[in-house]
Amino acid sequence: MNRPANLFSQSIKATFAFKLRAFFCIISVALGVASIVIIVAAVEGAYKKAFDIVEMFGPDAVIIVGGNDEARAVGGNKDKTITLEDVKAVRESFACAYVVVPVSMVGMTTVFHRDRKERTFIIGSDHNYSRAWSWPVVSGRDLAKEDVKRMKNVALIGRYLADELFEDKDPVGKYLFAGGLPIRIAGVLKERGTTPRGHNMDNRMVVPISTAMRKMQNEKKYVSMLRVRFIDQNNLEFHVEELRMFLRQRHRLHEGEPDDFMIISPKEIIKFLVALTGSLVLFIGIAGITTLVVAGFVLANLFLLSVKERTREIGIRRAVGARQQDILFQFLGESVILTTAGGLLGFVTGFFSSKLLVFVAQFPICFSWKAFAAGIVMSWAVGIVSGLQPALHAARLNPIEAIR
Amino acid sequence: MPFFLMENITKTFNLAAEEVQVLKGINLEINRGEFLAIMGTSGSGKSTLMHLIGCLDVPTSGRFVLDDREISHLSDNELSLIRSRYIGFVFQNFYLLPYATVLENVSLPTLYDEKKTDNKKKRVIELLKQVGLEDRMGFKPSQLSGGQQQRVAIARALVNDPELILADEPTGQLDDKTSREIMSILSKMHQNGKTVVVVTHDADVAGYAQRLIRITDGMICDQTL
Ligand SMILES: Nc1ncnc2c1ncn2[C@@H]1O[C@H](COP(=O)(O)OP(=O)(O)OP(=O)(O)O)[C@@H](O)[C@H]1O
Ligand SMILES: [Mg+2]
Repeated sequence: MNRPANLFSQSIKATFAFKLRAFFCIISVALGVASIVIIVAAVEGAYKKAFDIVEMFGPDAVIIVGGNDEARAVGGNKDKTITLEDVKAVRESFACAYVVVPVSMVGMTTVFHRDRKERTFIIGSDHNYSRAWSWPVVSGRDLAKEDVKRMKNVALIGRYLADELFEDKDPVGKYLFAGGLPIRIAGVLKERGTTPRGHNMDNRMVVPISTAMRKMQNEKKYVSMLRVRFIDQNNLEFHVEELRMFLRQRHRLHEGEPDDFMIISPKEIIKFLVALTGSLVLFIGIAGITTLVVAGFVLANLFLLSVKERTREIGIRRAVGARQQDILFQFLGESVILTTAGGLLGFVTGFFSSKLLVFVAQFPICFSWKAFAAGIVMSWAVGIVSGLQPALHAARLNPIEAIR
Repeated sequence: MPFFLMENITKTFNLAAEEVQVLKGINLEINRGEFLAIMGTSGSGKSTLMHLIGCLDVPTSGRFVLDDREISHLSDNELSLIRSRYIGFVFQNFYLLPYATVLENVSLPTLYDEKKTDNKKKRVIELLKQVGLEDRMGFKPSQLSGGQQQRVAIARALVNDPELILADEPTGQLDDKTSREIMSILSKMHQNGKTVVVVTHDADVAGYAQRLIRITDGMICDQTL
């Protein structure tokens, strides 16, 4: 056996010899590390979730909806502010946008096919709908420019609606009735599943926006929203600001007047998520750091007490040939072993209590090696910082003083 | 050249404001294989001298040679190395680690020994046999009698095979019979070739030695052969 291994074995022996000290050290470090571990996992979980949502939303995309929070609270028709003219103007003025697509929400409507019926969400849009949402048409054809121009009664339908109305038959080319109109199925959209809030994305029907507005809504001017995707997603914020100014000008809003529309960008979504998880993370974070700092002080005192109590032991070791650094490493080893044990216990505690957090609060949590590494590194840091001074004290004891 | 030589050694302790000179010019030679006893009144500086001989402490002034090597100005690390190579201590209060077993206590000096020997464990067991404790290896010190504890301490002092055994009142806590047992073990070590120095108040104990020195007030005042 070489010297470091010998010293380590001595540290382990002493760790087990002083059980009460071990108990207090491990518990206090475990509490702090558990909260650190939860935070790291929560931050990672929030990032992952935000990333997933942005990915689904489209990292290069924004949505402009008519009205604002205030107008909506007041009620009425104030959310009808975006016009077909606006859409055209945006399309013509923003060369940096590769997709500008208007959307009209017709709403939940009952549709029929022979003896079958189903309530579905009808949307009006143009030939770029599928592109605007990166939502491919898997059978049949996409909506065409002609369909919009000629106000044709055609539609794209979601997978769920296709299955409900047509079962295993191919719906392409078949007809269904919506609000008294016979509509021919042009194509079927790829399956997209259900959102976390339980909204079934595949129960929908997309018709040409002209058809939706004129034939279903009796509307000539206003659309519900506008979807824009930019070529250069790195400058999205800049584009959003440009777009805002552009629309304000078109809507003749004076300075100081609020926007009469809302631009939802991936950044907004991330802001929302961060606000949601941020306060909890902050709370646990402060608790965790405080616990660790307190644990550090408790540990430092415990170790110093332990060194004083074991002065004789130090004298004996020095008398039989231990060098100062041998004593230093033994005591530092003891504190690091104890805090590491605390760190491991803390990780396990954090792991299970965050499972509970997920269960109780649907909090997004993602465990990776990072949470583990953060816990272990923190426990080592506490072990070294709080163990160093007592260990130095032990090493510097005068052997004859220690042995008297 | 003797194995061990002290020339004009002094030792002064700084206590708060005042300085206390405990050793006031010690001249001492110890030959290889000698058995030396040191006597003197309480507070005369015997233990202080022992600590200097054992390189646990450094003298304030004077020359100090061990095995042809001047050691009065060595660093702390070098002194630790000399302790682990040359010196085995036996103390009045045994000084065993309370939480370690007999086996672990005897092995303690081997942890700090740089020498590569594979048979350390075998040697530990051999020594425990020599002091008659081979059936107590797993015991804690608190489970042993005083005499047994001192035998463990002697085994520990011998485990690195040092040339010099320093025993500071090794029988101070023991009754007469046990004292005789301990002294006969130390005599046996001496017969095996060790150099042994014993500090004692007990004339009977001193009687085991070949040579006796007396210390009074920090000076060697009497040498008897
Ligand atoms: N580390 C120290 N600091 C200050 N004074 C000390 C120290 N060590 C010893 N002394 C003093 O030195 C003197 C001699 O002490 P020492 O222990 O050498 O005596 P001793 O001969 O071994 O006595 P005893 O027979 O009682 O063990 C004492 O007065 C003691 O107070
Ligand atoms: Mg003494």
